[in-house]
Amino acid sequence: MTIELVRIDDYRYSIPKRGGMRVPGLIYASRAMAREIGADKSPQQVVNVAHLPGIIGHSIAMPDIHWGYGFPIGGVAAFDPDEGVLSPGGVGYDINCGVRLLTSRIERRELDGKVAALATALHRAIPSGVGSQSHRKLSAGELKRVLTRGARWAVEAGYGASSDLELAEEGGCIGGADPAEVSERAIERGKPQLGSLGSGNHFCELGYVAEIFDPETAAAFGLALDRVTVLIHSGSRGLGYQVCDDSLRSMLRAADRHGIHLPDRQLAAAPLRSDEARRYFAAMACAINFAFANRQMMTHFVREAVDDFLGEAGDLDLVYDVCHNIAKWETHEVDGAPRRVCVHRKGATRAFGPGHPDVPERYRAVGQPVLVPGDMGRYSYVLAGTERAMHETFGSSCHGAGRRMSRAQAKKSARGRPIFQELAAKGIHVRSDSAGTVAEEISEAYKDVADVIDVIDGAGIARKVAKLVPLAVVKG
Amino acid sequence: MLCAGAEGLIAVMTEGGEVAGREQRLVHIDAVDPHDRLVQWLNEIIVAAVSDGFLFASADIALTGSTGLSATIRGEPDAGDRVLAELKSATYHDLELGQEGGSWRARVVIDV
Repeated sequence: MTIELVRIDDYRYSIPKRGGMRVPGLIYASRAMAREIGADKSPQQVVNVAHLPGIIGHSIAMPDIHWGYGFPIGGVAAFDPDEGVLSPGGVGYDINCGVRLLTSRIERRELDGKVAALATALHRAIPSGVGSQSHRKLSAGELKRVLTRGARWAVEAGYGASSDLELAEEGGCIGGADPAEVSERAIERGKPQLGSLGSGNHFCELGYVAEIFDPETAAAFGLALDRVTVLIHSGSRGLGYQVCDDSLRSMLRAADRHGIHLPDRQLAAAPLRSDEARRYFAAMACAINFAFANRQMMTHFVREAVDDFLGEAGDLDLVYDVCHNIAKWETHEVDGAPRRVCVHRKGATRAFGPGHPDVPERYRAVGQPVLVPGDMGRYSYVLAGTERAMHETFGSSCHGAGRRMSRAQAKKSARGRPIFQELAAKGIHVRSDSAGTVAEEISEAYKDVADVIDVIDGAGIARKVAKLVPLAVVKG
Repeated sequence: MLCAGAEGLIAVMTEGGEVAGREQRLVHIDAVDPHDRLVQWLNEIIVAAVSDGFLFASADIALTGSTGLSATIRGEPDAGDRVLAELKSATYHDLELGQEGGSWRARVVIDV
């Protein structure tokens, strides 16, 4: 069935409430995007999410929306603590998949003629690719500490500095983690993988600041024109996938028992007050912490590789670490009063505005950094959270460009093309163990992230700060 | 159908080729319903491949009621280097399972 998108303004479309929808849908899109979005199944998924009990405000989708499992990718939904539900499908398999950005004092021109070699050095330094495994063998006890302490464990183990911790969402460690709720299988899948990139759309990208839109905020974030940057995109690896998979079964049973109508079984959910939700939250928190530690370790590997390569300290400072597959308790204004709600962000980024107490003090005057990778052949953006996002989207914004081709379509489109050479000709040196992965990740497989950002900026749910352009990309 | 699904997964993960059934392992599933049993079965095959490097070749499967399954699966151990696609999980999204003309037919979406 085609879902009618009703235009509200240049950047917003509504899906009016009908049938079993408890709230309307709200999709951020330009007119051209709305046409594209309307042609796939993702608006139906926005509608499906609107059926879940206790949903507050709207079932929201960002302009990078695309078809996901259960929730659409780019979906945001907040739930009332008494009436609402927790849904693993609203978080996704790669729990706390996220991005971190490092900046440096290295000028782009200092790397002239050296980028290809540095790309190779980074590829060597970061375990990447299918089944990639950690440099570090963890004991069961150590892994449990990772699951409860997240990036704090990594810093204590020598991977980075304590100053990194304040520059991550949740300080790199979310509370409520209980390793006893993580299955043996999840432990076994995750244990060898801590400190590894994985495959698919995960990457480590060396780039530079190509354009600054908001000098004051860019300066607050430590971003200066032509300075070298690093983006790291990864998540909780096999541990997170297994936590999600383990929980779906108990959530299906819980949904049945609590009479929750599921338009799609992948939306399996349990009341927030139920034991099933409590147990999933405890396991999900472990996966969130695993992912924080994972990105912290890779940050350390990148710093070591760059310092070794340059023969001096590159001073790679963390700008911020954001999560884009997560469910969390947050306080938001609902009907004019502050209320504690459970916000699901699946392929969406927290974008808290200026003055929010959860934004690190050094960024509090300008708002939280929002990191939005594009594709490996074009550019990425750094945004800042806004007050408007706090009112409209539970402090959320987009997370990326959004796919426009399936992986199979992308591979077909790339067949016979020398993708590595095409990118090298543009000055982008790609390193990967898998030509197949690189083919799946060609630029054309994604929407132009600039279009996504124009909608976000135009709607005022984050504002443009800087554009980053890639020089070297390590793909999984 | 269960074996065909497992073979299909391995073909996708490895981009084809012979798989030697040199080793055996046992699988037991207690599912919510037949759909869940199918998803769990495929996830057993995925996890064995991506975590242990054990590639499914064939199986003897006994179904118990509409939710149980016991199987002896044969496969190729230590073949992690043949896994070229890291599948995350079989999902319940748009899951279809039914009989058509005396044969079972299923559609399972895999998260990659």
